[in-house]
Amino acid sequence: MHYPWWYVPVITAPMLIAAVSIVHVLVSHYAVGGGLFLAVETAHAYRTKDREYLAYLKGHTKFFVWLTVVFGAITGVGIWWTIGLASPLATEVLIRTFVFGWATEYVFFVLEITAAFIFLYYWGRLPEKTHVAVGWIYAVAAWISLVLITGITSFMLHPGAWLDPATRSFWSGFFNPQFLPQTVARTGGALLLSSLYVYLHASIALKEQRLRDLIAARSARPALLGALLILAGGAGWYSFMPESAKAALAAAAVLNVLAALIFVLTGVVFVLLYLGPYRNPGWLSPGFAGALVLFGVAAFSTGEFIREAVRKPYVIYNVVFGNQILPNEVAELRSRGYLEGARPEGRSWTNAYIARHFPQVMDPANPTRIDEKKFLDLPRSEQIKIGEVLFQYHCNDCHAVHWGYSAVAMMLYGRTEDMHLDMIENLDRAPFFMPPWAGTREEAKVLAAYLASISPPRPGGMVPQ
Amino acid sequence: MPPLDATQLPALPAPFWFIQFFKVLGFLLHMVPMNLWYVGVPLAVTLYVFGGERARRWSERLMVQMPIIVAAGINLGIVPLLFLQLAYAKAFYPATILMAWFWLAVIGMLIPAYYGVYIYVSGMRDGAGSMTVWRRAAGWCSAVMFLVIGFIFANAMSLTTNAAAWPDLLDRHSVAGAATGTALNVADPSLWPRWLLMLGLALLTTAAWTVLDAVWLAGKEGGAYQRWAQSWALRLALAGAVWSTVTGAWYLFGTWRPTVFKEMFAFPAVILTVLTAVSCWGPGALLWATRRKALNWTLAGSVVGLQAGVLALNAISRQIVQNIELRDVFQPSVAAQPTAPDWGPMALFLIVFLAGVGVLIWLFAQLAKAGPEPSLDGPAEPPAA
Repeated sequence: MHYPWWYVPVITAPMLIAAVSIVHVLVSHYAVGGGLFLAVETAHAYRTKDREYLAYLKGHTKFFVWLTVVFGAITGVGIWWTIGLASPLATEVLIRTFVFGWATEYVFFVLEITAAFIFLYYWGRLPEKTHVAVGWIYAVAAWISLVLITGITSFMLHPGAWLDPATRSFWSGFFNPQFLPQTVARTGGALLLSSLYVYLHASIALKEQRLRDLIAARSARPALLGALLILAGGAGWYSFMPESAKAALAAAAVLNVLAALIFVLTGVVFVLLYLGPYRNPGWLSPGFAGALVLFGVAAFSTGEFIREAVRKPYVIYNVVFGNQILPNEVAELRSRGYLEGARPEGRSWTNAYIARHFPQVMDPANPTRIDEKKFLDLPRSEQIKIGEVLFQYHCNDCHAVHWGYSAVAMMLYGRTEDMHLDMIENLDRAPFFMPPWAGTREEAKVLAAYLASISPPRPGGMVPQ
Repeated sequence: MPPLDATQLPALPAPFWFIQFFKVLGFLLHMVPMNLWYVGVPLAVTLYVFGGERARRWSERLMVQMPIIVAAGINLGIVPLLFLQLAYAKAFYPATILMAWFWLAVIGMLIPAYYGVYIYVSGMRDGAGSMTVWRRAAGWCSAVMFLVIGFIFANAMSLTTNAAAWPDLLDRHSVAGAATGTALNVADPSLWPRWLLMLGLALLTTAAWTVLDAVWLAGKEGGAYQRWAQSWALRLALAGAVWSTVTGAWYLFGTWRPTVFKEMFAFPAVILTVLTAVSCWGPGALLWATRRKALNWTLAGSVVGLQAGVLALNAISRQIVQNIELRDVFQPSVAAQPTAPDWGPMALFLIVFLAGVGVLIWLFAQLAKAGPEPSLDGPAEPPAA
């Protein structure tokens, strides 16, 4: 409405954000924890004059730079790309609130990239102390990047005192109730995930058992610490969630399963770490390390998915709904019409579209104004078409159409048009994680007509039919 | 706690001039490495096959540095993008949503293009016979993808200022009023000269890099290479000047809207317009005038300085033109948006920025101590695992 909606068949546009984000965090956490690993271990190798270990670390740094500086950095930019396309209003709010947080993070990001290249390309050319110092510059800059980004992303789940205009500021938004728990959890995730990647890399690249054992033993403690930090941060994350997010977690069966899966997977990783690298470093084979990475990545991806899912119906809690409207706009939209738009300045995208394609519903006295009452005078096929426009802008952020992600047709088997209308007008009442209906009664009726046109009949053979 | 007022999104958190300054500065800095991959990679992969001995050496030198150049270009591109989204969201988001799949394809192409550069370079570094057909193909694919990415960017930026085309594009690329993301701004006459103009600027930047590299990093290559590089830079600079003049004239006289034309040719903006137009001849003219003299630091520095001026004038002119073109979207003007400067976070950013510059200086100082010829031949080979 404020912006054109991007229709992505089957998966819906916001799921693209989830896909890009999950791929990115699996690398970006390694970029943080791996930097710490390289700084600490290079210093250790210099101190013990272990040339073989240094040679391994140089090879690992190449792998690290190839993965994090190219894939990690570009997928990070990719998140920017996708959020601007799929959640433009929320992105606008975030950027206007946190532009200097991002700009500050960018400075650390540049330091990261520069230090990473120097650490690798000048390997053996710099004095040992200087080389290690460069490694530490990378590690510290990468961790501060994590902290700064977490302040912004955690704001989306719970803006805290920022919601009150009296205390609304960059700082109240940044130091939101979720900031500390998520920072702890992500720091733990970085330690754990990087250790798992190191194990996999070492188990494949190294033939010498001594070095494998050395790496297994030295990386086990940070990995175990990481797992504990994830659990501590996760507990804080749950404790400081808004009530609606806790309820969403409890109410949705799929989230129940996924939440349980995180604990199971993290537990499996913890036990494998303890039994393997910590107690029996010699176990570090490619198969064992691969299993560790697999469980770790599965736990991590599940956690990221849940983090996104519990925010419903908001993109930013109490600030922007998933369908790109603001809570304050709802009353105005119910009065003026969703397609008309709530902002007094300028025309909404939906208004302009309706004016071009359905000129007969425009108010003759004011041709830029939609007269919703005329919707019901249209032939049913035209009503359905307008209903489809409403569906795209009001619903498609979470629901595919016929099949795909949370496809609406699959949820409406056998429902009548009256049932659709009742559901639309009480959208946020039955399932609280739906956004409120933000349109007029006429708009609800044409949307109900559209839903009726795509609802499959009640499956046959059921008793009673 | 009342929610955010629908009519009042958070105001711009900085004075408009501040946003504008960093947007232009970021774009200027981004253009330097971006120009080098835009024209440099296609030229390098071509000369590696068809060039003479020194042309091949030039190609190798540029491509060995390319992984760092690409990293710098991508990272510096974040700055203008951030400030573009801050103050120009109302125009930028609709434009990119209308062409969403193409816009997203930038990310999809940038990753293989960057890896393609690494793979190609590994073929050069692993010794004779290692430049296999696949490694060569990776370089060619990267070259093509960089050009296509440039085309998509030209689409996005021209569509951002072409609000009049939005309704029609939405009609032709929509499902029930929702954008399918498959539009391109190809009907906009300004698209083509804008895209091609960047190629001219890129030729000029590549010329400046050639003389800088020859005096700074190519000490071991010998005097003959330096002389060749000087002559090659002259040809690049003249080609860039001719190309920029032709495409620039096409852009100005063939596609500027009357309001833009009127304002950019009125005093004092006309000074900037004329300077921007003629500046592209500066590097070529200097190289031509000194073509019989030996290449030295003063000459190379002057060429680089002149090219920096060319890019700076372009960045400033483009910004002013963009602001004029966007008056239809931001009434009365983009600069008139409400601002509520967030001084605390801004101060934090500026302090961190200065401290970051200090750390960078320290890092580069360590490189100077490491030896006269820093190894840019870093991670050319594939990783160990």
